[in-house]
Amino acid sequence: MINLIEMSNISKSFGGSRAVDGVSLELLPGTVHALMGENGAGKSTLMKILAGVHQPDSGQIFKNGHRISFNSPKKALEFGISTVFQELSLLANLTIAENMFLGREPLTRFGAVDYAGMNAQTADALAQLGLTLDPEALVSELSIAERQFVEIAHGIKADASIFILDEPTAALNAADVDVLNKHIRRLRDEGKAIVYISHRMEEIFEICDTVTVLKDGRRVDTRPVSEMSPASLIAMMVGRTLDDLFPPRATETGSVVVDVKHFKIDARSKPFSLHVSSGEIVALAGLEGQGQQKFLRSLIGKFRPFSGTVTIKGELLEMPVSETSGIRRLHAAGVGFVPEDRKEEGLFLGLSIADNIAISLVSERGEMSIARRYRDVINTTMASMRIKAEDASAPVSSLSGGNQQKVLLGRYLAANIDVLLIEEPTRGVDIGAKSEIYRLLREFAENGGAVLVLSRETIELIGLCDRLYVIHDNTVVAEMPAGNASEHIILEAALSA
Amino acid sequence: MNAALNHPILRRALSIPPSYFVFAMLLFVLWVARPHMLNLNIMGIFIRQIVPLGILVLGQLLVMRVRSIDLSGGGVILLVNYFISSGLFPGASLTFFIAIGLATGTAIGLFNGYMVARRRVSAVIVTLAVSIVLLGFVQFLSSGKPPGDVPAMFGEIYNTRWGPLPTPVLFWFALTGLMMIFLSRTVFGRYVASVGESAEAAHFAGVPVERTVILAHTLAGFIAAIAALVQTASIAVGSVRVGLDLPILAVAATILGGVVFGRGEGGVLGPFFGALSFALLFVVMTVFGIDEPGKLIAQGLIILLAAIFYGLRSGNAN
Amino acid sequence: MKLEPAIQPRPATRITSLLSGSRRKRGRQGLWLVPLLIAILIGIALALQTEQFLSRENLFNLVAQAMPLVITAIGQMFVVIVGGLDLSVGSTISFTTAILALDAPGYVLIPAVFVLAALIGLTNGLVITRFNVHPIIATLAMQYVILGFARMLRPVSGGTVPELVISSVAGSFLGIPMPVIWGVVVILIAWKLLYGSRFGLHLFAIGGGVASGAEDAARNFGIADRRNTVIAYVACSLFAGLAGVFLAGRIVSGDPNVGLLFELDAITAVAIGGTQLSGGIGSLHGTVIGALVLALLSNGMNLTNISPFVQTAIKGAILMFVVGLQSRKKMGL
Repeated sequence: MINLIEMSNISKSFGGSRAVDGVSLELLPGTVHALMGENGAGKSTLMKILAGVHQPDSGQIFKNGHRISFNSPKKALEFGISTVFQELSLLANLTIAENMFLGREPLTRFGAVDYAGMNAQTADALAQLGLTLDPEALVSELSIAERQFVEIAHGIKADASIFILDEPTAALNAADVDVLNKHIRRLRDEGKAIVYISHRMEEIFEICDTVTVLKDGRRVDTRPVSEMSPASLIAMMVGRTLDDLFPPRATETGSVVVDVKHFKIDARSKPFSLHVSSGEIVALAGLEGQGQQKFLRSLIGKFRPFSGTVTIKGELLEMPVSETSGIRRLHAAGVGFVPEDRKEEGLFLGLSIADNIAISLVSERGEMSIARRYRDVINTTMASMRIKAEDASAPVSSLSGGNQQKVLLGRYLAANIDVLLIEEPTRGVDIGAKSEIYRLLREFAENGGAVLVLSRETIELIGLCDRLYVIHDNTVVAEMPAGNASEHIILEAALSA
Repeated sequence: MNAALNHPILRRALSIPPSYFVFAMLLFVLWVARPHMLNLNIMGIFIRQIVPLGILVLGQLLVMRVRSIDLSGGGVILLVNYFISSGLFPGASLTFFIAIGLATGTAIGLFNGYMVARRRVSAVIVTLAVSIVLLGFVQFLSSGKPPGDVPAMFGEIYNTRWGPLPTPVLFWFALTGLMMIFLSRTVFGRYVASVGESAEAAHFAGVPVERTVILAHTLAGFIAAIAALVQTASIAVGSVRVGLDLPILAVAATILGGVVFGRGEGGVLGPFFGALSFALLFVVMTVFGIDEPGKLIAQGLIILLAAIFYGLRSGNAN
Repeated sequence: MKLEPAIQPRPATRITSLLSGSRRKRGRQGLWLVPLLIAILIGIALALQTEQFLSRENLFNLVAQAMPLVITAIGQMFVVIVGGLDLSVGSTISFTTAILALDAPGYVLIPAVFVLAALIGLTNGLVITRFNVHPIIATLAMQYVILGFARMLRPVSGGTVPELVISSVAGSFLGIPMPVIWGVVVILIAWKLLYGSRFGLHLFAIGGGVASGAEDAARNFGIADRRNTVIAYVACSLFAGLAGVFLAGRIVSGDPNVGLLFELDAITAVAIGGTQLSGGIGSLHGTVIGALVLALLSNGMNLTNISPFVQTAIKGAILMFVVGLQSRKKMGL
């Protein structure tokens, strides 16, 4: 069969890290092609290249054998490539019809936008999907599922032949998933090619024809789904050994310092309990976006959970935590929160290393007191963390990613803190800095600290931590010592829950 | 052009606040055109005229460092001027006037800060509206006519000298020094720097962001009241128009001094020279016979060009 | 991954959620029914209070008084919908009257006014979109530059404006008072721009992206966001120029101070009419109603002999109140 789209030898790097490395992919008409892989395997980047959001560093894209290139989602759509992303791209203040035709609105004889025509055509397109939405309804009034259907209708209306669905079912309930699957089958029967990214195993086997597995930015294999079983698919997604990056685990742990009981992230999620003791590093593992971050951020007031009690060092943490003062209150209790987004939420890029480290010490004091320079603390921190910089007055923006991450971590190690909540301890950091950060966190735990960490990289969690909680669907589905864990076991625990 | 802008020497030059160059340039123009005016006695008189502006700049740079703005200074000056010149408090002492002036300014600043930081209303809208409310209020109280005379004791202090320099000028210099120490040595100064650099990161680092913005506005109101006291002493009479153009001049001087919405590269000295530049600019304009409209145009262009200058630079950094 | 903050910066009160626009089908128009009711209530109150209010003369006067604000507010609405703001419209109005009072024939002055107004808007738009300058700073600076030019041309009010300008706002045509004709024509032009063209829809699209923090959302649909934003600023200045022509005809002379604080009245009117200053939500009829509410208030305060100084203060308080009702996450400017 002649392929509809061929992506040939595509590579793409962000900063220093290769997100996609020489991947080729063929999409055939009338098939649903599953794209699978662990977090950070490069699925989303590859699809964003096909959707025109990113441009590849190298490699080519062919449609019906002709080479095509485009630099925006709109141009991609003109080539018949339509995308439904996790983060939706519709404009909430426009109607469904306006979103469908935005940028190519039909005009009346008098130069006005032909709303009647737009609405009628939109109603048709929606009807084709079996939807009875009002074309004049604002997108802001639609449910997430409805918005996704509108995006699909948008593609149908634009006469797209390739549909990319990036985790379309993540926010849908079972009934909506059935409706969506019906539409996907219908598109397939009309000879369209569909790329389907999902972590839900049963959906893959129910609806997909072919599966391609990515790992670390490379393609592992492309196989017919009929030849695969869930177990063999998971094996294909994992297939890697532990590196020799990690310090030895804790031999003994102290008393419980963070105790979470009957915690419900939202009204519908199952309650869970977890605890962290001094001297140990505990991980929140699982697939991305399953509630790990929501839980961690509810401790600092950035997310409002449904219910639960949290005790820190014997003191009850009042829920919900105030957004304005939550971080300061935790800080006073000796708890530090290291945010995931180093550049936006973590560091002051224009300020010096010294200022970035000292801010945690400074912020413990009242506004009108004298700000000490903390030279000793800063120098000790820089030395013990091996931060490579000319001196402490260098702006943080001049450092490499690894050294920036160490400065961020140093801020908390320099302060009087014995519990660390960390999101993504080594995001965008090279391998050498990674192993140093692991060593620092282990030292912190050995000195009586407690660490609760979440990361996209399961392998990092297994190597770094003492104990893991597997989180799926906003609750804890398994707990295991890290020594017994493997990516396979964690993935299975998450997916079979 | 981008490549040229990234050249190290040019980058170094770009990080120097424009106020230094403007100040030096104006000094040169004056030296060529009217060399005899360049002596401490004459310059002291000219600089004395912009002391209220210079003081107002100290508050403006504070709020602009935390990415806000305060255009209510004109209203504060009017109100304080009215309190002193209207005879509303007959026979009151100097201390009383100073106390009520400072209390008024502080209260207005606190209100601004609350609206901006807690209610998240646009700072321009809030502070402009406050200024208009105060303007209408004062004009109503005084029926649109100048209220009366300022007690003589204000003028007496205002006209004293310390050596060649007028007391108000020295007072301004001292306040500027105080602000430098305050911003570089206190915890609050660090908070201001961190909120200006990134409010998001400051929040995650445990800095009380809202409180910092409120305090910055409150201090700016307090400082505006000091400027009002000096301004009142300088004109010696009540007025219903005094000081209305000062806030925008203060914004111009602050931007010229390298402090633009969060970026504090100019520190306190940059805006200080920004205010001095305006003193020289007014002298130069008078020398060349440029009147009020020309000054308005110059103010506007200075803000516009300085903002474009920084906009281009930040656009390059991205 | 970004989490939506669970706790809004401040809890939305009932009024806030009302003013932030109904969730119904045409909810993008913002809430304009409430100001309409307010306008009617003020009208009834005034009619009961003072006998002259319902007189033909006063109503006619009211329309003539309201017209410059209606026109300016309509212009302001275009930039507010894309998430911007224009503080230079007051000066543009003053500048326009100063130009019209120059000693030159009308067929030169009238086109000149619109060319210059368009230039002002073009400069605003280009500075904002090309040089990354915050709209408030750019237009605040422009406000002073233009005011300077206005005062340079005409230090104090005086001169006479072309006969054509005067006759265009006085008297009536086919029994309809000229100001009413002005109003109808201006509203029709604005209607065509906002609702009868791609341009208008694209403004809403750009503003919707800006309001939700995704500045390039509209660009991803292939919309020329910068160009349309610049055109919005040009339109805003042109409407201000039109308001200036109207005012010049009314006062028959040039006045460098006639537009003072007009920009704030215009912003107040836009905000009263339910248009969100964060962008993407708003309507033409809401804006017109907002301007009428302000004009009715002024008229009422005049009729009840409230001091003009107190009126200034009240307007400032209204501005703060209506803008304060609109919720936003961002802190600062």
